[in-house]
Amino acid sequence: SSILYCLLARLSETKVSMAMRQTPLTCSGHTRPVVDLAFSGITPYGYFLISACKDGKPMLRQGDTGDWIGTFLGHKGAVWGATLNNEATKAATAAADFTAKVWDAVTGDEVLTLAHKHIVKSVNFTQDSSCLLTGGNDKIIRIYDLNKPEAEPQEITGHTSAIKKALWCNNDTQILSAADDKTVRLWDRNSTEVVKQLSFDMSVSSMEYIPDGEVLVITYGKTIAFYNALSLDMIKTVDAPASIHSASLHPDKDFFVAGGDDFKLYKFDYGTKEELESYKGHFGPVHCVRFSPDGELYASGSEDGTLRLWQTAVGKTYGLWKCVLPGEFSCLMPNN
Amino acid sequence: MRPHVSVLRLPRGPDPNGRGFDPNSPRFIALCPTTISASTETGTDSVQIREEQRARSVLRESFLRTLIAMTNKQVQFHMYERVKVEAKFGASDIDVLNFQVSELHTPIGVQKEALLRCQDVISYSFDL
Repeated sequence: SSILYCLLARLSETKVSMAMRQTPLTCSGHTRPVVDLAFSGITPYGYFLISACKDGKPMLRQGDTGDWIGTFLGHKGAVWGATLNNEATKAATAAADFTAKVWDAVTGDEVLTLAHKHIVKSVNFTQDSSCLLTGGNDKIIRIYDLNKPEAEPQEITGHTSAIKKALWCNNDTQILSAADDKTVRLWDRNSTEVVKQLSFDMSVSSMEYIPDGEVLVITYGKTIAFYNALSLDMIKTVDAPASIHSASLHPDKDFFVAGGDDFKLYKFDYGTKEELESYKGHFGPVHCVRFSPDGELYASGSEDGTLRLWQTAVGKTYGLWKCVLPGEFSCLMPNN
Repeated sequence: MRPHVSVLRLPRGPDPNGRGFDPNSPRFIALCPTTISASTETGTDSVQIREEQRARSVLRESFLRTLIAMTNKQVQFHMYERVKVEAKFGASDIDVLNFQVSELHTPIGVQKEALLRCQDVISYSFDL
């Protein structure tokens, strides 16, 4: 009868979700706020997670368990942005020490330091890892050819305030950037000209680009907005109960999650815009949240210095979470 | 009162003694290319690899022995930006990221205790 329960649970995951309370997995190690995080693609060794922290020491973790793999040592200031290439063989970081760095994500060694003239906030690899996009407080988007790192980067100017995020899109032929000038701009990589621009009443707090389906997720104030990444036409907007700092759309585009000022993580139905669940756990505002590449979990980074991993389907056996049958004793009590 | 989802264990945290990237992990072994050319050539015989490994061991051991020999000695450090400083060498950290030194003579004065960032050092010399 216990086998039957688990089978039924797998068949109707929503019933299990409602029957059980989410146990977030806390990843400790950082000593200051976690301001950015990124997942790699799915590799033969699983998928990986990198976190950017104001303590200057970005960390690499195994994506499905949160287990620490290594710390990238070398930055001399707060790290504002971090990213991995698809294969998780390279990492890039953006920091307050006016540099972006490229790292070997297998050995942890620093491979390249790219000097900038101000705080660097954002880094992003092309699909083939050949080029790195950077953006920061000097308001200039730069494209570095990683095969010719000594060459001067291509520069894209236009933003009138600090750049928060710059991302490759449309098969790396275009670039999306969000800045404190309250605009999101779409640029052509070759001409370096603006193709289209969105203006907002307030600064955009975060941006996520979903290549599959060309969706752009933007957050500002209490709003999570979804746009077509090619045309910048608005798809829909959803308002949350609190000011949102970051949101992420599930790969299957059925859910999205968001977090911000009230320390909670919110889960919404993308189709109906309905708020499904909210989770407490962090002891400070949530700065970043991202779904894993397989959509089974999402990771959040907070002012409290921790990363937390949350299950998409609460109660499912995955990673370190275990589906426990009624009447069985669990291996470990949560929150110990 | 709904039960909490159970977990097998908590995520492993950082090792306080090192920066991680375990060289014995399957991923490291599979993906990390060796730096000496003999190992990356195809059809290399095992004798060559053994020779190479012996050479690596000798070099590594020599380097570690120089660090021991340097302890409490006056060392001249030649650094980037045409900086030359001299100090009494104390110790290195485990990843050779920082050197602990005393009485560091710099162009702007003598620092009683200091850490030198190894990545800023080009070369160093001392008398045996």
